[in-house]
Amino acid sequence: MTAFGFSLSRGARRGALLAAAALLLGTTSLSAKTLVYCSEGSPENFTPAINTTGTSFDAARPVYDQLVLFERGSTKVIPGLAESWVVSDEGKTITFKLRKGVKFHSNASFKPTRDFNADDVIWSFERQWKADHAYAKVSGGKYDYFADMDMDKLLDTLTKTDDYTLVMKLKEPNAPMLANLAMDFATIHSKEYADMLDKAGKKEQMDQQPIGTGPFSFVAYQKDAVIRYKANPAYWGEKALVDDLVYAITPDPTARYSKLKAGECHFMIAPRPADIAEMQKDPALKIINQSGLNIAYWAFNVSKPPFDKKEVRQAMNMAIDKAAIIKDVYLGAGQAAKNLIPPTLWGYNDAVKDYAYDPAKAKELLAKAGVTTPLDIDLWYMPVQRPYNPNAKRIAEMMQADLAKVGINAKLVTFEWGEYRKRAQQGEHTTAQLGWTGDNGDPDNFFFLRGCSGARAGGQNITKWCNKEFDEMLVKARSLSDPAERAKLYEKMQLIQKEEAPDLTIAHSVVYEAMRKEVEGFKQGPLGSHHFKGVSLK
Amino acid sequence: MLKFFLTRVALTLPTFLALMFLTFIAIRLVPGDPVEVRVGERGISPERLAHFRHELGLDQPIWKQFFDYVRALLHGDFGVSLSTNAPILHEFLALFPATIELSFCAMLLAILIGIPAGAVAAVKRGSLFDQTLMGLSVAGFSMPIFWWGLLLIMVVAEGWGLTPVSGRIDLIKFYIEPVTGFMTIDALLSGQKGAFADALHHLVLPAIVLGTVPLATIARMTRSSMLEVLSEDYVRTARAKGLSPFRVIGLHALRNALIPVVTVIGLSIGGLLAGAVLTETIFSWPGIGKWLIEAIGRRDYPALQGGVMLVSSVVILVNLGVDLLYGVINPQIRHGR
Repeated sequence: MTAFGFSLSRGARRGALLAAAALLLGTTSLSAKTLVYCSEGSPENFTPAINTTGTSFDAARPVYDQLVLFERGSTKVIPGLAESWVVSDEGKTITFKLRKGVKFHSNASFKPTRDFNADDVIWSFERQWKADHAYAKVSGGKYDYFADMDMDKLLDTLTKTDDYTLVMKLKEPNAPMLANLAMDFATIHSKEYADMLDKAGKKEQMDQQPIGTGPFSFVAYQKDAVIRYKANPAYWGEKALVDDLVYAITPDPTARYSKLKAGECHFMIAPRPADIAEMQKDPALKIINQSGLNIAYWAFNVSKPPFDKKEVRQAMNMAIDKAAIIKDVYLGAGQAAKNLIPPTLWGYNDAVKDYAYDPAKAKELLAKAGVTTPLDIDLWYMPVQRPYNPNAKRIAEMMQADLAKVGINAKLVTFEWGEYRKRAQQGEHTTAQLGWTGDNGDPDNFFFLRGCSGARAGGQNITKWCNKEFDEMLVKARSLSDPAERAKLYEKMQLIQKEEAPDLTIAHSVVYEAMRKEVEGFKQGPLGSHHFKGVSLK
Repeated sequence: MLKFFLTRVALTLPTFLALMFLTFIAIRLVPGDPVEVRVGERGISPERLAHFRHELGLDQPIWKQFFDYVRALLHGDFGVSLSTNAPILHEFLALFPATIELSFCAMLLAILIGIPAGAVAAVKRGSLFDQTLMGLSVAGFSMPIFWWGLLLIMVVAEGWGLTPVSGRIDLIKFYIEPVTGFMTIDALLSGQKGAFADALHHLVLPAIVLGTVPLATIARMTRSSMLEVLSEDYVRTARAKGLSPFRVIGLHALRNALIPVVTVIGLSIGGLLAGAVLTETIFSWPGIGKWLIEAIGRRDYPALQGGVMLVSSVVILVNLGVDLLYGVINPQIRHGR
């Protein structure tokens, strides 16, 4: 009894002391709920517009909002800092009504004097768009996503008619634009904060000590160790359900798993596929999964014979044992792909029938196409691991063995990654593996890979396949604003693509998320992002 | 002594220059430049690639890049990281204390256990203790750090729950503002009860893992050096004079036996920093090892060059210190005899 009493009082004393210390520091208290997320690495900084990695986006995500948001757990675009919008002028003008009463966070050097308004939006886009912007060159000034999503080519003007009405004019109709605006690069910053830092000569601080409108505000960051956030009680939308959010930077997946088991973190990113089975047996843990927003494919260069013949490309599809690849290379973290887009994306056509593994029929088709065997081809594989392809070389070797059975000698070829991409885009290969990770959950963001404009030398369509019917639908879908109408077109396009077989769609990765049982409310989304608003600890 | 010191310092200069050149060339031999490596499947337009390469000066002839780098370095400018845009020196100084703290504890552990254990093994040559120690030291010396670290995490931290798995402090209980960068000191400065003990607790496993190889080396070296010294005439004389065994071994034998051990300790510092790369990765320890590995992946030329130069400076300075320490331990060396 005494011992118990002693330990209780010691615990209580310690709690009181810690709480007092925490109060003094203005940070956490012991009664506060702290969610610890074992993340993978350090962010480059906290401004998504100048970053390209998921790690950096995840680190900025608690702090910021965009004009429109992806609904948690999906790619549906919902109102964010803009509470509504109207598309007019045949899809070339979008007028946004901005949300009133949205507060920016504050920190030791900045206390906002006004609410969020249109000036903040214009500032955030112009930094990436206008070379003469005061912040254009700050922190390296590489706005990769803004350039990659062709924002500079699509945007005509961005003006305000009053503090809460914003007019975006486009040079051409572009239905995926709204999804672009929900992406991380389109994050809205505080112009007032930027102006203050500019005056103080501390522009870099903008990207290191972020001020946003998001569900959590930034507290502190120690490189390679920890990022701390605290709940923003004044948040306009779905609130944070924990008091503090901590990212414990833990690069090694085995160490992350150990920390999860020991309760040192509640949630971990990217468990190793080999650990999944054991994790699923652990009653203290919860494992969820979803197919990733990506595709691994094997492209046939239709500009080079004999791949100009549809039968040859179809024969290739029949010659490869896809199920064996999924089993041996993806080790359970992959799902066979029959379409270019993953099944989680709207517009997915489940009626498409994939080619069955049938070497005999493949041989027949080759003979029918007038191909004399043995046929020599080259088979390129990427020198690097990608999110959609854990081992391109191993896949190439398995394909090589399968192809030998139908009389095709495939020579395996690779180059340094940058060189590989460049040469494949130039169309130097006869067949090459590659893949894609979706940016914004819009099917157009995948199907453009088979469009005619990408089939030129140096373009992204490394099959160099240009099908008029497919391309017309692709272009038309961009100009329609009704997702149901667009989905119909995409469904037809998938049928054409399967029949014409410019490629062999290999797999979509399967993304696993592991957390402790006490974590509630986490929604896994196809974009692979981690959102902790609405997530609580039991 | 001054001449001895100046000669040693002068000898480090060519080492620095060679290192500077080798690092500069080596990272550029790795395929992919810093601009291309951050680009995904989409690729990058030739104009954008040329623009950013120009901004980073990568379109200049390699000799010009090298001289620009050396010139900046002579002005104390290590450049800025290409991935974070933070000054290299700033990043290094923020992370280095974590590496020093870990390496210091590992070395302290190795010395405090290794020297007495080696000495006892030598005195009790052939005993069970001696044989066990030598067996363990071979194991310790040849154990892969990564395997050893993970094994300890699984058994000690996960299985027995004796230590935390990784990190430097319990992130839920404590919020320690970095003041010195040394977690143990910062924990003390924070005044939060239990923080210092928690920081030490977090140090136990990584220090054991990092300290294992030097511990094995030091123990073996002390043993063999002691065996040699114990058969020297002056030890026999000391014994004959009737000195207590403690004085004979502790004062006469061990002091002389320590000279090669000090060399080994000095040389181990380099190895320790190499081991820190792995240990820091396993234990999520925010030091320079992990930072350098990431710099290679990102082709962050300035971070890698600056980091290697700074780390080598530390290793070279430590070795210089060791050289000077010989002079103190053995006056014959400083007099060039």
